[in-house]
Amino acid sequence: MSLGITNINNMAPELPVQASEDLLSTPMFNLIHSFGVDQHHAESYIGKTTRMSRFERLSTDGGQLDGSGLDPASEVPVRTDIDAPMEIYAKSIVTNEQVILYENSKTLTKFTALLGLWLREKEDLLMRDLFSSSVSYINATGGLNGDQPSNISLNDVNNVENILLGNDARTLLSNLDATQMIGTAGVRDAFIALASTNLSADLQRVQGVMLKSAYPTQEGLRPEEYCSISRFRFFVSSKAAKTPGISLRGNTVYTVPMYGLEAAAKIEQNKYTAVIGYRPPWVVSSVAQNSQLYAKFAIARAITNQNWISGLKCTTYLPS
Amino acid sequence: MPFTIIAGDSFTSSGVGVKIILPSSADYFRTTNITQMALSGTVCVRGEWFGPKFGVGASAANSGLRWRKAASHAILIDSFSTATASDGFTYVTVSPVVEAQSANAITAITAASPAVVSQTNTYSDGDILQFYDTTGMLQIAGMNFQISTVSGAGYTLIGLRAVGLTAGTAGYTRRISKMLAVEPQFLYVTEITKATQAVVRTSVDPTAYYVIGMKVHFSVPTSFGMYQMNQLTGTIVAMSSANYTMTVDIDSSAFTTFAFPLTTSSPTAALFATIAPAGASTQYNPVTNVQTGYNFQYQPFRTGQFTPYMYLGAGAASPAGAANDVIDWEACKYEN
Repeated sequence: MSLGITNINNMAPELPVQASEDLLSTPMFNLIHSFGVDQHHAESYIGKTTRMSRFERLSTDGGQLDGSGLDPASEVPVRTDIDAPMEIYAKSIVTNEQVILYENSKTLTKFTALLGLWLREKEDLLMRDLFSSSVSYINATGGLNGDQPSNISLNDVNNVENILLGNDARTLLSNLDATQMIGTAGVRDAFIALASTNLSADLQRVQGVMLKSAYPTQEGLRPEEYCSISRFRFFVSSKAAKTPGISLRGNTVYTVPMYGLEAAAKIEQNKYTAVIGYRPPWVVSSVAQNSQLYAKFAIARAITNQNWISGLKCTTYLPS
Repeated sequence: MPFTIIAGDSFTSSGVGVKIILPSSADYFRTTNITQMALSGTVCVRGEWFGPKFGVGASAANSGLRWRKAASHAILIDSFSTATASDGFTYVTVSPVVEAQSANAITAITAASPAVVSQTNTYSDGDILQFYDTTGMLQIAGMNFQISTVSGAGYTLIGLRAVGLTAGTAGYTRRISKMLAVEPQFLYVTEITKATQAVVRTSVDPTAYYVIGMKVHFSVPTSFGMYQMNQLTGTIVAMSSANYTMTVDIDSSAFTTFAFPLTTSSPTAALFATIAPAGASTQYNPVTNVQTGYNFQYQPFRTGQFTPYMYLGAGAASPAGAANDVIDWEACKYEN
């Protein structure tokens, strides 16, 4: 055997590393807080605040004519106004030219994609905050973990359904028909419920739960959907609202908004829905070495009908 | 090390905690007590906070470096979280906001009207506290209350008339932001009278959140007695900052009595009674010359608490100083 073997010890590779054929995925949380709300648009040049108005229904009391010729009392209609001012959010990335020069992965393209992701994630969190701040919730009490609020149960879910139906709320999602007349079950038209992914184990335990995989069809379902309980279809996100250490026993309390049609609204500013831009190096830097990417969007948000939104506060069966 | 001072200003302390809004965020924050700097007391004259970019050298929540004067005008430097503990700097980046505090134990909550809490504390009048893990008075665990008549040994809850409840013997509190992520926020209801125009007491001063003419939507579980009020919407016709009450145009005179569920029914009794903002009806009263429905300060749904911000603890040993102290502050953002 020759002693003069050329190996990777005495001749290391010219390039110590190679990039794989594609980048790994950028994590993105489930965006569940926007798709179920009404979308409105604000025009430019006519103020910052958008007013959404609703005429309340007339009273059905009385109204019969008794034949005397006397007119029944007239009624003054009531208009309820919901206001929401536009707010603008922005983020930027300043990049030195050497990054662009040496980096292998088309950084500006990737950074633009990151800004796009930020835009949608930020919008989702803003809508989450609306739900968690400005809505009345009821503590779940039907669970067996002995905490206040308890873990979620069928009774708690049915209680919220009673509230929404009693307030004449309309369902958002249409029914899914059974694919066979025998042996499969359909999913009724449903309200929406938004929950933390930490509740997924508890959701599976609720009496009567139908996991998404058992739906009669998977066509058109959102990936964020987890299950159906009673008249609600549950969507989960790791960023759903929660408050640490606030239960009777000091555990995390999760907020689960549950709502129907036209309960909340997102207002977009025309021509300002999603602005992504680039400032070249000769603008950003005196020696033209740094460039800047930015993303901006304008949004206003409101609870448009408190009768059609309610929800639960709950803990998890196992403390969290 | 290059750095840029991105913001700075001064304020005259009123003896309560102060929030400094920081739109560009901050890596370093400093306060100087101009008033006390010239005097000979043993109080905090300068505070310094180091942000997360300093890694292992970053300041802990509710802490930071404290420069105190000895009586001889010599400087002693320690941290706000030393044995002589006092509130320091808390940098808050997300809403809803819990201004960092370690668990603060309650020793008693009286079953009186208003309820009085015994607790060693550094809170200020008007602070809002979240109560949790209570013993005895179980019904209020999870609620927020605004506090008044604060001393280092306790405070009063104007929003809780606790006669009839079991006195609390233990529990914990943490201070939270007065504004939630979005305003107007929902409020906890602690009392509703039976009257042609119901008077509603809330756990915090409602005048900071709602305004006359706004509509509010009630959520009152049956465990609170006045179930007839549940899911009704009324218009606010009067408010009292002193009593934490609002009057609504709902006739509750024939309703059953509102009462907190008994402690013995916890944890199965449904909680809580709340109200949530439900818009307004824009109207003009030609007799009183009062117009409602165009209040753009309280009525619209909007961001409640801007983040990030720096919370400065109050008191002679803290960065926001004692009443009438003039405080200079600077926020810096490093380039590297």
